[in-house]
Amino acid sequence: MATSPQPAPLTSRRHSGISRRLLLTATASALFVTATACGSAVNTADGSSSDGLITLSMHNPDSKTQDPATWQMVQEFNKKHPDMKIKLEGQPVDQHEQRMTIAAQSGTLPEIFWVYDSLAKTMVKSDDLLDLSPILAENDLKAKFAPSMLAGFQRDGVQYGLPYQALVTGFYYNKAILDEHKIAVPETFEDLLAAVKKLKAAGVVPIAQGANNSSFSVWAFLTMLDRFGYESKYQDILSGKASYDNADFLRLYQHVQELAKAGAFPSNMNTQTYAQAVASYTDGKAAFLDAGVWEAAKIQKSTVGEDTGFWAGPTFSDGVGEQKLVMNVPSAPFVVSAKVKDDKKKYAAVKAFIQFYYSDAGQKILVDNAQPPVTTYEPAVDAEKNSVFAAVLAEASKPGWKSPKAQPDLVVSAATASAMYDSFYGVMGGSLSPEEAVKNVQKTIK
Amino acid sequence: MNWLTTRRHFTLMVAPALIIYSLYMIYPILYSLYYSFTNFDGVSAGGFAGLDNYRQMGQDDAFWTSMRNTGIILGIALFLLIPLGFLLAILLSGRVKGSGAMRALVFAPAIIAPILVGLIWIFILDPKIGLVNAFLLAIGVPAHPQWIGGPTLSPYSIGFVYLWQQIGFVLTIFYAGLRMLPRDVMEASSLDGASRWQQLRHIQIPMMRETFGIVTALVVTGVFKVFELVYALTGGGPVHLSEVMVSYMYHITFTTQQYGYGMALAVVVFVVGALASAATFLGNRRKGEVR
Repeated sequence: MATSPQPAPLTSRRHSGISRRLLLTATASALFVTATACGSAVNTADGSSSDGLITLSMHNPDSKTQDPATWQMVQEFNKKHPDMKIKLEGQPVDQHEQRMTIAAQSGTLPEIFWVYDSLAKTMVKSDDLLDLSPILAENDLKAKFAPSMLAGFQRDGVQYGLPYQALVTGFYYNKAILDEHKIAVPETFEDLLAAVKKLKAAGVVPIAQGANNSSFSVWAFLTMLDRFGYESKYQDILSGKASYDNADFLRLYQHVQELAKAGAFPSNMNTQTYAQAVASYTDGKAAFLDAGVWEAAKIQKSTVGEDTGFWAGPTFSDGVGEQKLVMNVPSAPFVVSAKVKDDKKKYAAVKAFIQFYYSDAGQKILVDNAQPPVTTYEPAVDAEKNSVFAAVLAEASKPGWKSPKAQPDLVVSAATASAMYDSFYGVMGGSLSPEEAVKNVQKTIK
Repeated sequence: MNWLTTRRHFTLMVAPALIIYSLYMIYPILYSLYYSFTNFDGVSAGGFAGLDNYRQMGQDDAFWTSMRNTGIILGIALFLLIPLGFLLAILLSGRVKGSGAMRALVFAPAIIAPILVGLIWIFILDPKIGLVNAFLLAIGVPAHPQWIGGPTLSPYSIGFVYLWQQIGFVLTIFYAGLRMLPRDVMEASSLDGASRWQQLRHIQIPMMRETFGIVTALVVTGVFKVFELVYALTGGGPVHLSEVMVSYMYHITFTTQQYGYGMALAVVVFVVGALASAATFLGNRRKGEVR
């Protein structure tokens, strides 16, 4: 079932603005992005893929190795649907976000793509995204999701996004290193601080962390923010009724400073990338790694795989509200270009892919690639063979523990999220005091 | 072939390219200027924000840090890169054995992509795994300076790496300038008993004034385009303390999606860069006139 290219759109409501924005983009590119390789084109001007029926654009340059679940999902889909074809492409996160922004301006968005929720929300305002409710209604797909998995991606009654993967984050820990230094797996912040001091004295990097060009990798600390009442506070903070610069958050940042002063983080944290931090953990050079479920498969294959466990992070005696929290939330969503509805064959392909992705067969592919399901599908995981992934799943579903509704950085603007990452890294690296850190985040909230 | 030398025909031939170039350059710049007065978020049309973006810039510590860092790199370029480039050109233009190979060696960094230069220097300057600190340790210096990644030394390190990358290019221009000097003047001065230093001070440097002007203009404009080195070496961190103006503008526009503010930063970078370049050209012209 070959499909014709998508017809050129008739007069668009933003038609007159397109050339202006393109010009703006051209200027921006000419002035300061000369070094940024743009990769392949998103789509042709009329929205059609040059060598595929629809395009799935992701935030990884090499999905086959960096996101094998999605890669396998696409291969299986293409095999099952010989009349349809998905072209999978990707770039690093920053470049991907930039490309999607430019594509939205020029009306050349790929059919389906991953994007941070803050950018997705901006696109919804401009009617760039398709309402996915009709697709969810078919085959009763909606019933496969826990309501919390969909709730975060709704705006004005429009279901603009679907959870791409589940975000389970925290600390991986190397049991062999902890055992060697007679350290029990920490539970409280005091436990963690004591462990850090002992490990540092023994010459072991306590927590692998990398801030260079990956300044968003502070996941375990974002969960800690929830243990200081973030979820109940953030809406007031965003509306101006409360401030990020408050006594509760300040206490958390003071604890982060205590960790930093105890030597919790590698001395080259600021020049090390996240990938290098992961490598230092998988090489057995660090006791803890701040990461998430997406690293389970890689860690399993490494020399530390058999010794690795997973921990949701410390509870705080001076925290606010529920301490038994584990971050198990939808990650940034899949969204679909609104233009897809203008082409029946593209719409059919997108619908078929979504139905396949969230089917039990699709979720099994996620699980087989060490990703937790995002639907109510109950996975069967071989705890012997996939001990790291099993440890993550066990921690995520620990009795008596619950999850916040969303990761703190995913409910604020990109500017505030960026300031949040900076605030943690600034305190960890000693460049910011806790007071400066919370003030800097507050400054970005307008 | 009269038509090629007639001024009117020549102007007509050049005009299309000139018009396209002007449109390509001026029109987008004016539109960026317009968007710098809006709160455009990159996708949906932004409202008019007046001078808000420029006011925000005034209160933005990271912007001032990026300005200061750009100034540090500019200082290193003007006061170290140009004199050292000239000195090396003088040395290599003499009858030194192997000067050809030396020139090629010094020029080599100029042909490496800046992003790769950054990656190479990470392995030299990194406070933990870098060669410099390993060397310091080997000779018994216990200090481990944070050449990159720390709050203080990063812009100086970036300036030094920029110097390393550009010195071959600067040297080549000076070398070409030196080779163009009339030999008879040098020979006459030798016969008159001028020392090597006197020749340098009273003949070569004054006669190279125009070359100095060109090199200075290229270096000044080059400094305002430094981006990849920062991106690769420090990513602008920690917490934007090693940002230069262009890298900070990139961060604001594309990472935080504040396109309106990013455009305001772009306008300021453009204006500062243009003023610095204009000052350089004017300075060169004045010196030429005085001479």
